[in-house]
Amino acid sequence: MSEEMQKLFDERLGRYQAAIALEPTDRIPVAPGSNYFAETYGGNTNQETIYDPDKWLQGELAFAGAFPEFDVLRDNRIYGPLFDAVDLKTYKLPGRDLSPRDQFQFAESEYMLVDEYDILIHSPMEFLFDRWLPRILGEFGERGSMRSYVAFLKGGMAYMQAGQIMRNRAMVLQDRAGMPQPMAGFFLAPFDVLADAMRGLTGTLMDCYRQPDKVVAACDVLVDEMANLALATADPLKRWPVFVPTHKATFMSPQEFDRFYWPSFRKVLEIVIGAGHTVRAYLEGDWGRHWHHMLELPKGKVLCDIDNEGDIFKAKREIGHHQCLAGGVQDSNLILGSPEKVREQVKYLCETVGKDGGFIVSGGCNVPYTAKPENVRAMAEAVMEYGRYDKSVKPLPRPAPHGAIHASSFPRMVTPWSVKKAEVGGVMGDEDLIGKPWETLESMAYVWLWQWVL
Amino acid sequence: MDELAEALRDLEEEKVHQLLEKKIGAGVAAVEIVRTLNEGMIAVGERFSTCEYFISQLIFSAEILKAAMKRLEPLLVGADTGLSAGKVVIGTVKGDIHDIGKNIVVTLLRGSGFEVIDLGVDVPAEKFVAAVRESGAKVVGLSALLNFTYPEMKNVVESIVGAGLKEKVRIIVGGTPVNEDVRAFTGADYYAEDAVAGMKICKEIYA
Repeated sequence: MSEEMQKLFDERLGRYQAAIALEPTDRIPVAPGSNYFAETYGGNTNQETIYDPDKWLQGELAFAGAFPEFDVLRDNRIYGPLFDAVDLKTYKLPGRDLSPRDQFQFAESEYMLVDEYDILIHSPMEFLFDRWLPRILGEFGERGSMRSYVAFLKGGMAYMQAGQIMRNRAMVLQDRAGMPQPMAGFFLAPFDVLADAMRGLTGTLMDCYRQPDKVVAACDVLVDEMANLALATADPLKRWPVFVPTHKATFMSPQEFDRFYWPSFRKVLEIVIGAGHTVRAYLEGDWGRHWHHMLELPKGKVLCDIDNEGDIFKAKREIGHHQCLAGGVQDSNLILGSPEKVREQVKYLCETVGKDGGFIVSGGCNVPYTAKPENVRAMAEAVMEYGRYDKSVKPLPRPAPHGAIHASSFPRMVTPWSVKKAEVGGVMGDEDLIGKPWETLESMAYVWLWQWVL
Repeated sequence: MDELAEALRDLEEEKVHQLLEKKIGAGVAAVEIVRTLNEGMIAVGERFSTCEYFISQLIFSAEILKAAMKRLEPLLVGADTGLSAGKVVIGTVKGDIHDIGKNIVVTLLRGSGFEVIDLGVDVPAEKFVAAVRESGAKVVGLSALLNFTYPEMKNVVESIVGAGLKEKVRIIVGGTPVNEDVRAFTGADYYAEDAVAGMKICKEIYA
């Protein structure tokens, strides 16, 4: 990386990290989590974004060149060939199931039956292999068939390819545009695991009335699974937060949230934060009745994306002194509004929510695909004009914090080395040379199996 | 209020089923029972309006009602319910496959006595136009979750105008990414902030 790019990268990352930590910065960061607008900025279709890594990267480089005010640029978590290799049922993809210029969409259905809680609770891996995976991975539908074996093989290889693509992209954006990531790695709140890709929203809500104890027990079982997913996929250097999109809390009453959603979610957050990471939580919908719980977590560790329906001014009053907030620029304004209107909105945000720091300018939860370029420009320029603090403050990227990881719980795997070693009765030479790679591959395979919850 | 309506309002699922069987056993006309259930659903809607209930509770009430209606269906065959509060055409616009919000609206409307023509998801403009023309509905509801559907909503409105139906039907837009600005952009008549607001607009139109 050139010296110039290194400087830019450090400036942006330092600013982003300081804002999350509620510490002083030179200006309000322009740091949306998801930047859909950038994904297709090169004129590429949405299909090309997820199927042609090079076209997508060129589009993002063009964006980074045209909008240097942005402090981060997210990678795209979907790599089409990986989903195709296993025939993932939970997504509709542009160019495959949708028109090439449409947005990918999540397809909710009942992939776990109403009477399958006990098996999930008592034997999660058996549940995965016998019930859930055959339903959501079409190519694994006929277990034991030739196709089902090849599906896992292809899926594993495609996963490695996807990792390579994402790493390469991050390196190119870093080296050529000085652009850090807004987040890396992901997990879900345990309740969302159930309500997104397993029982579906209606099913899970009915279960909350009809078999509430099972829902709570299942969420508890999923705590370690989600923590494992988060820790395994997070940035090992802990430079940027781990991402958790929340989906179903917005539909719940405070009583339901407090009983079914929060306790297990809080446990996962505590493990991830305890391990030295920060978290970027996309609070989908209106979290106004729930977000006070963010006060229970350590200060400056959870960056909260406030969605279009949430009241970011209320959020500022209630949790803004404890966690950093992102958002404020309405999607509809970016898509339908004028540069003047966007500028006005950003100015107001800078003077209110952003007044004392702890604020990141972003769309409701992303920069929309169909945002007008002149409006995105107006957003960035307005931050340069109204979002300045003290020029002399130059926060540097911080060293990776140490954290405690419960060695007994993580990383999780199907067959730990100790089991295999007992089976083969020990090895002749250096055991680490054999046992460590064994466990690395085991834990990667384990993550592969659980990634489909998202 | 009848205790069946109360049980539905209070989301007491078991009790609703017991009272339903009791009424059927006592020979109460199915049409009469439906009317009672409608009362219960209207009370649920009111609790939602006053923030006593949340979307989860709307969804649960809808599920209880669905099961009750399924039980009553055979008893309603051929009966003129005389209940129709009006016809409403509804669907998620083309390009979007989400239906949680739309389904809540559908159940609330049906629960309040409306006859709903539910076109499903990913509905092209011409299908909305045909449904409005064939049903003679005075209201059409356009739903969406994704914000790239604004132009498609506008397209549906323009298609309805182009088909000469504008004077005959009022158009409501609703869903997560919709607000007053979006309504103005699409040219729709109303913006419904939530499911209960949408139901109230339908009632106004048919009043």
